[in-house]
Amino acid sequence: MAKGRELKSRIKSVEGTRKITRTMEMVSTSKLKRAQDRVIAARPYARALADVIADLYSPALAEEFPLLRQPVAMTRAAVLLITSNRGLAGAFNANLIREARQLLGRLRSDGAAADLHVVGRKGLGYFRYIGAPVASSRIDIGDRPRAEHASELVDGLMGDFVAGRLDAVYVVYAKYNSPLSTPPTADRILPVAPPERKGTARDYLLFPSAEAILTALLPLYVRNAVYRALVETAAGEQGARRTAMKSATDNAGEMLNVLRRTYNRARQAQITQEIAEIVGGAEAL
Amino acid sequence: MLTVSVISAEATVFEGQANSVVAPAFDGEVGILTGHAPMITALGQGTLRVEQSGDTLRFSVAGGFLQVVDNQVRVVTERASINR
Repeated sequence: MAKGRELKSRIKSVEGTRKITRTMEMVSTSKLKRAQDRVIAARPYARALADVIADLYSPALAEEFPLLRQPVAMTRAAVLLITSNRGLAGAFNANLIREARQLLGRLRSDGAAADLHVVGRKGLGYFRYIGAPVASSRIDIGDRPRAEHASELVDGLMGDFVAGRLDAVYVVYAKYNSPLSTPPTADRILPVAPPERKGTARDYLLFPSAEAILTALLPLYVRNAVYRALVETAAGEQGARRTAMKSATDNAGEMLNVLRRTYNRARQAQITQEIAEIVGGAEAL
Repeated sequence: MLTVSVISAEATVFEGQANSVVAPAFDGEVGILTGHAPMITALGQGTLRVEQSGDTLRFSVAGGFLQVVDNQVRVVTERASINR
């Protein structure tokens, strides 16, 4: 029963794989929960900053702030691509990389030089593999990005932008709409697009002055955009992995059904054949 | 009573009622009591005190701003941690 034994070992192997994918699914489900909590916890800060900046900002002030400077011509841009360190998350990283490549292509066809900064092993591995230059990379951020990580990533770029060495900075990340919807997104973070004011502005006492407060808050706003990109991508990764592992588990289950059916049929066929042989032998006596 | 929230980049550190708030503004401490006029002030680095009836909560804060409007105090700062 050579075929039977072969089938049996395949069944064993698929069962083993299913056990692993199911475990990974459960692990990402619990990591997703925590990552999602961090996305939600980061919202009040972003909202508060946006509210106040919108209140204080007026177009007349725009020229005074280097972070709001609209470049005359786009000659040099930076793209910060955020990917995950681990794979097995379906097309999650591939989608982010594709988005970044499209953006780089667009910038370059507009005649701008574009530097690529990469977060995450997956993105770095890809661009190393195709031999594209990577201006800087970080692979130590992992599942729990902190606000300091965002400062470290973007403070240098902000300095370059203020000094006029960069004309725009983009961040490519997975926007976290829900665990099932994490579309790759490219946002321009510099020059800062001031948030829209909702309702009418209140008359505040301002210390020291609107300009001074804005000068202090705009860098915070940029850092927060990057921090949010980091936490949303981290949550999106877990969501994508959960989905990928769930369908892997389902597929393994389907495959097991087919294999078991084939195995049982082969076993039954063999028994029938043995009986036929015995009956045939008995008749011959 | 004031409704106070202390919000850092990563999470809301504190939310609750207080009698008064003393915050490290950019040029020295600023105290907030009920009925304060709407105000936004830049913060420096230091200790934020939230005085509740009976006890005082202390937070380390760095940068950001404090906003008062209609007895709502929002302290929004990059880093905030509670000191016990």
